[in-house]
Amino acid sequence: MDQRRVAVTGIGLVSPYGGDLPDFFARLVAGESAIRHLLNDDLPRPLSIPFVGCPGFDPDAVLGKPLAAMMDRFAQLGVAAAFAAWDDCGLPRMPDGESRDGWGVTWGTALGGTLAFEKGYRELWQKGRERLSPLTVVLGMNNAANAHISIQLGLGGVSMSHTVACASSAIAIGEAFRRVRSGEATVMVSGGSDVPQAYAVVRAWEALRVLAPGDAETSPAACRPFAADRRGLVLGEGGAALVLEDWDHALARGARIHGEIIGYGTTCDHTHLVRPEVSGQTRALAATLADAGLAPADIDYVNAHGTATAEGDPVEIAALAAVFGGRAAQLPVSASKSMHGHLLGAAGAIEAIATVLALREQVIPPTINLAGNLDPACAGVDHVTSARRDRPLRAALSNSFAFGGSNAALAFRAVVR
Amino acid sequence: MASIDLIREFLQDRLGAEPEKVVPHALLADLGVDSLMMLELMFEFEDRFGIKLVRNLKTPRTVGEMAALMDGLIARQKT
Repeated sequence: MDQRRVAVTGIGLVSPYGGDLPDFFARLVAGESAIRHLLNDDLPRPLSIPFVGCPGFDPDAVLGKPLAAMMDRFAQLGVAAAFAAWDDCGLPRMPDGESRDGWGVTWGTALGGTLAFEKGYRELWQKGRERLSPLTVVLGMNNAANAHISIQLGLGGVSMSHTVACASSAIAIGEAFRRVRSGEATVMVSGGSDVPQAYAVVRAWEALRVLAPGDAETSPAACRPFAADRRGLVLGEGGAALVLEDWDHALARGARIHGEIIGYGTTCDHTHLVRPEVSGQTRALAATLADAGLAPADIDYVNAHGTATAEGDPVEIAALAAVFGGRAAQLPVSASKSMHGHLLGAAGAIEAIATVLALREQVIPPTINLAGNLDPACAGVDHVTSARRDRPLRAALSNSFAFGGSNAALAFRAVVR
Repeated sequence: MASIDLIREFLQDRLGAEPEKVVPHALLADLGVDSLMMLELMFEFEDRFGIKLVRNLKTPRTVGEMAALMDGLIARQKT
């Protein structure tokens, strides 16, 4: 079948650093952590964790008050990111003659509108109220973000959410990529958003003993992927989006092409809910390379899943070693989560952005907190611990490996300008 | 609080509607009140005044109709 090339023509996010997209990437390259200490006055006990928040995000200002009022924060972050990506791609917000009936949205979120329902529980159980706002249903539903994006941008094709834990938005982007490549959709908006600071959600993650500890002083360095002294992952809220577009359509309208998405593969470990498996990840990486028509030697950078858990990091390195074989030792790898944290359903999207920008700007952002501190169990690849510009970057992978055993990888190619 | 003031406050808070436009003859739809927002407005109203609206209530079209409906129910509640 005649396959289309797929251009990345729009990139947008709500930056954990509070600034715009160039600022976001400049700070990643500079090795600057966005992780801070979250201490709130929650009842009955305050949350106190390292966290990546977006405190400067003003939904009323970005979305307008009536629209913001119809959304939970996960949808607000998602629509804000999608708007930023859409504006970046240069198309008008509402259709201006060209039909968008086949254009669509695939959106990743692990938790959806959990905060809306948590607010409901608080009202009912803490405040003793008998009823809830009727808006709770439409605020809380997992497909709220993609539905709002479709409405706001006039997209009449597929509109669906993907809930695959930490791989949610990588899979959403991969599924969108396939739709554009097959010719089913000319343009797709894809990405993810999540708001994991719900009280019960944080307590549940704490119980799982995979959250890194930290206080006001130590939180910025709390996330240490691949390091000998890593203590776990750092949760974060956020939203990130890409616009994927039929290559010829993008060229015809003179759009700026940030990069090309060329491959996607997804597998399931089918062995254990939370213990990652080398073979499942290896199959996902191999499938992605095959889908992209690339050999291991063509990959010049891997944005790792790298959450900084004791179990996860060595398994990912073992999978990379299995796929890249003798070349693994020269394979540049970094985990940008060390700086922007783990955005759960938005993780795959924010890391896809980091990967596309690495290729576009020809610079690899580092894994911070790792230099001189590598866990021998995570050795075997070329860990990038400070920004690197020494070699041309032709193609790159972005890895996402989820609880549930779902694995996904995306392959991107640099566009020569 | 008078019903019209509650409507005015709600529409300003939720929809950013300018208070001077929330006048009796104004159409609720023109102020941005769709079916969902109407449900939310009813909910807020029930909550504030501690009453329960009947399910087959006729949906008001204007701010004035809404205020009259609310005033009637509040009066009935008091008796």
